[in-house]
Amino acid sequence: MVVSPYCTIGPFFPASFVGGHDDLTHFRGGTARGQHIVLSGRVLQEGGVPTRNTILEIWQPDANGIFSSCPDADPGFSGWGRARTDAEGWYRIRTVVPGSYGDRCPHANLMILAIGLTHRLVTTVFFADDPDTVRDPVLDCVADVAARRRLFARRENAGEYRFDLILRGENETPFFLD
Amino acid sequence: MPGSRIDYKPYDDNTQLARYIDRYPLSFTRTPLAPLVPRPLTLSERTGPIASDQFALGPMDLSRAAADAPRATGQLIQISGRITDEDGSPIPNAVVEIWQANSAGKYIHDADRHNAPVDPNFTGEGRLMTDAEGQFQFFSIKPGAYPVLESGWWWRPPHIHFSILGRSWMDRFVTQIFFPGEPLNETDLLLNAVPDRDVRERLIFQFEGTSMGEVNAMGFRRDFVLRGRRQTPELD
Repeated sequence: MVVSPYCTIGPFFPASFVGGHDDLTHFRGGTARGQHIVLSGRVLQEGGVPTRNTILEIWQPDANGIFSSCPDADPGFSGWGRARTDAEGWYRIRTVVPGSYGDRCPHANLMILAIGLTHRLVTTVFFADDPDTVRDPVLDCVADVAARRRLFARRENAGEYRFDLILRGENETPFFLD
Repeated sequence: MPGSRIDYKPYDDNTQLARYIDRYPLSFTRTPLAPLVPRPLTLSERTGPIASDQFALGPMDLSRAAADAPRATGQLIQISGRITDEDGSPIPNAVVEIWQANSAGKYIHDADRHNAPVDPNFTGEGRLMTDAEGQFQFFSIKPGAYPVLESGWWWRPPHIHFSILGRSWMDRFVTQIFFPGEPLNETDLLLNAVPDRDVRERLIFQFEGTSMGEVNAMGFRRDFVLRGRRQTPELD
């Protein structure tokens, strides 16, 4: 059977579908184990212009590197979340530092859904103190060293990580074939 | 683990909208310049938040706030369909989110500057989960057309937005579905950003006739095929 055609999310995604999903650390009455952090940043387009009113979704393993679709995952951690960028292009998500597992370095999958984009854009944000020493089968697909470094969240203060997504132009974020 | 055995191929551009659309506001400024990077699919991409939140199975009625509340203005419609993967296997427990303009072409959203009236009986949004056969059913009001104000010429034909959370990160799906026979369908930048008529038909509801009885509604159906195919048959 032929896959259905994607189309843009447009400008009118309901606020109620976003509300509450930007906190992954409290789920079904429980509280997530591990280090609670705020992952925030700006989504920018050509010319460094803020990409406002854009939906960002996240999917990541828990602090022990287990996905919430797995029976032994942390029951207090959601694994999935959603946020909307404000007028300055900022998004903000409460989550935990993801654990590593197998050959995967700590990471979270991110998706951008926006007016102007007929398809979603997908990328992966990585968490590590020294990006240049990290080996990861998805990260290693990005050959350019400067582009690789742009896939790492920057630790700013205790519990605060910054990750900007530049959709087009200088310092463009690498996005993966989807 | 659910979904971890399923293979996902990249979207085939021949069956999808163009990624860049001339004259579509913001299409240019947001489309990456660099080629998209091929990557292997690991457990991380093959899993997803299926049923991480629980929603009602439906049918869900967007046309009124409660069973005894007044109906929103406009033509009552029934929207139904079934969600499967590429093998035709149903996807149960998929989260289906829909949103739409009211019958005058107005959304309840802070980004909507169109001066059409708000209908106090219509929020234009609903969320449910598919049943064991992958089926969903909503009642709603047929949406109106509306102008894209910043374009200076473009009017959107009546359409309903769908957002589907399926089995994994890979089959996460968002689209818009149009109504058959609408004159504005011929000029819509999005609907016409597809290479052929067969593909376009997959973005248009099928009219399923009218129902008579307790609920009098026009029926519209659209089935969805999410990306994903089994690499190997289930062993058990």
